[in-house]
Amino acid sequence: MDRLVEIRDLRVAFDGVPVLHGIDLDVAPGEALGLVGESGCGKSVTWLAALGLLPAKARVTGSVRLGAGELVGAPREALETVRGKRIAMIFQDPSSALNPVIRVGRQICEALRLHRDLRGAAAKAEAIRLMEMVGIPDAPRRFDLYTHEFSGGQCQRLMIAMALAGRPDLLIADEPTTALDATIQAQILELLARLRRETGMATVFISHDLGAVAQICERVCVMYAGRIVEAGPVERLFAHPRHPYTRGLFDAIPQMTGPRRRLVPIPGTVPDPRALPPGCAFAPRCTRAHDACSRARPDLLAQPDGRTLACAYPVPEARADSFSMERAMT
Amino acid sequence: MSRPLLLEARDLVRIYRSRRGLTGAVTEVRAVDEVSLKLRAGETLGIVGESGSGKSTLGRMLLGLDPAQGGTVLFEGMPLPRFGTPIWRRLRSRMQMVWQDPLSALDRRLTVAAQIREPLDIHRIGTPEERPARTASLMTAVGLRADQGGRYPHELSGGQRQRVVIARALATNPALLVCDEPVSALDVSIQAQVVNLLRDLQGQKGLGMVFISHDLKVVRNLADRVAVMYLGRIVEEGPAEQIFAEPRHPYTQALVSSIPVPGRPLDARILLQGEPPNPAARPPGCAFHPRCPLAQGLCRTRVPALRVPEPGRAVACHVTAGAQSPVAA
Ligand SMILES: Nc1ncnc2c1ncn2[C@@H]1O[C@H](COP(=O)(O)OP(=O)(O)O)[C@@H](O)[C@H]1O
Ligand SMILES: Nc1ncnc2c1ncn2[C@@H]1O[C@H](COP(=O)(O)OP(=O)(O)O)[C@@H](O)[C@H]1O
Ligand code: SF4
Ligand SMILES: [Mg+2]
Ligand SMILES: [Mg+2]
Repeated sequence: MDRLVEIRDLRVAFDGVPVLHGIDLDVAPGEALGLVGESGCGKSVTWLAALGLLPAKARVTGSVRLGAGELVGAPREALETVRGKRIAMIFQDPSSALNPVIRVGRQICEALRLHRDLRGAAAKAEAIRLMEMVGIPDAPRRFDLYTHEFSGGQCQRLMIAMALAGRPDLLIADEPTTALDATIQAQILELLARLRRETGMATVFISHDLGAVAQICERVCVMYAGRIVEAGPVERLFAHPRHPYTRGLFDAIPQMTGPRRRLVPIPGTVPDPRALPPGCAFAPRCTRAHDACSRARPDLLAQPDGRTLACAYPVPEARADSFSMERAMT
Repeated sequence: MSRPLLLEARDLVRIYRSRRGLTGAVTEVRAVDEVSLKLRAGETLGIVGESGSGKSTLGRMLLGLDPAQGGTVLFEGMPLPRFGTPIWRRLRSRMQMVWQDPLSALDRRLTVAAQIREPLDIHRIGTPEERPARTASLMTAVGLRADQGGRYPHELSGGQRQRVVIARALATNPALLVCDEPVSALDVSIQAQVVNLLRDLQGQKGLGMVFISHDLKVVRNLADRVAVMYLGRIVEEGPAEQIFAEPRHPYTQALVSSIPVPGRPLDARILLQGEPPNPAARPPGCAFHPRCPLAQGLCRTRVPALRVPEPGRAVACHVTAGAQSPVAA
């Protein structure tokens, strides 16, 4: 596989407490990769570490390669060139990226100057083009407005426009639709899918909404307690989740069709990183666990069907109960 | 079939006035605009709609926490007494609320057991000697372990905290529970635990429940009936299954179709154009018309009344619930 980003054995510890325990992950040029898992499993930290955005108290080891360059331990100036220009990141809360006291057009022009050395009329024309591209109606007139004059969904679009300013090869979208209403969420998902089609940039989509991930990603990684526990092509993984955790995430989703039934929660909660269970970290919550699971942690191994899986007693491949994607997701 | 009516709201109106800037003009937001609804004992009414549509305001009004400028709320057939009066306070033990953020609803300096016991002391339920046992049984009912009674809120997970809030709300044996986005801050895996808990408790105690949420999947699995709000008004109401299987109002249709379903390509959804309108500048006519794919001339000028296109359902739309349908009472 042709690789844009190559992450190897990435580990992060805060104040001596490890929260990321060795992540191996590749992103191919132009691909759409989903990252799912409950909150606290290390989805955000993985990319914040890769981009050097964690606070100083975080200890980061391992390797993140972008082309020929190594990002872990790279000097600040090198990381600053990468951020925005090669890899851009957007977040759930647009106010983290937009300045409330500077007109939005000027902010986008500033990003264009920084990343592409565009100035004056050229920058303004490009900024308006970007605003139109992300679906801001009447962009020339709204160039001079402030963020509070835009709705939440439009601020999300403006943040995406800023992220596009450097023509990145990779866009990391960290829960970009979580705070938005359903109808606006649908618009933003459509926008992200369209931008990838039009620009060919790769997208990493971090979300706890498996339905949204299924709609815009080709490949998905499931994280639990700071590790990847299952990864593979979206259709295969979602049609037949094999890790009991992945299966549990699906089973917990309330259905939109069929008879109403009791929901199927995953018992317990994500473990505190300071008190990780021995062996497989999911064992205390797992319905398939045997004694052996709490003694030895299963490695993440390649499977014949193209996925990777870390489980000693996975959900069998061909199951009698014909678990279908339709049922899992609706 | 006809369980007794627990709660009835008639033509509720709540207007918030705020000044723009220091000297700016006063703007009016009709947060709740002529809303009527009924809830029977043992029934769950789901209220859905996007943020700013007035769900929380309506929820507070149903308990008398937010005063109405117009309309009335009847609880067990009697008008709600005024907020803060002694009879309102006595009634309050029969109507409880569960909020989205359990941490802000709990006192961080009190142990879990102390907070669950507090309403028993306030409303003098049982003798002081009986209260510890009753507290323990409430904790069991919501799935908390006895040893967790000595913990403080910040020592619990989000799902556990919400259980504490629910135990506290149930302490006074309420007849009505209003839940405002009670599971929205929780992971889906944990959300399912709390939703099951609410459903079980309701089944056991015959509570009437108003369940406010912007998550349609959760509402479908919990509510018997659903009311859809848009800019302060109910635009559609009916049995949950029917609303989600065959939504009639174009806004409900877009809402239902916006839920991501794999196998359904992105472009098979109804993608609304435009943004949610500013509540302070409510569009004339049907407030949804600027985003509505079906809007016609009449929609721009006349507010559609809630009509009854078929028994048990109500829809406020000129196009999909035509003028030939009877107007809802
Ligand atoms: N700045 C920080 N300081 C200390 N711990 C942190 C910090 N950021 C994240 N963590 C911890 O790292 C773990 C992974 O967090 P995160 O990557 O944010 O999870 P996710 O994005 O999957 O919800 C969690 O246990 C979280 O508490
Ligand atoms: N205390 C308040 N003062 C002024 N306006 C308010 C207040 N509370 C709510 N509003 C306004 O009323 C409308 C409805 O709000 P709310 O009931 O919170 O809706 P929802 O719960 O559906 O998001 C919004 O436009 C909101 O800005
Ligand atoms: S390894 Fe064991 S405990 Fe872990 S998920 Fe698989 S079956 Fe469950
Ligand atoms: Mg995160
Ligand atoms: Mg609300």
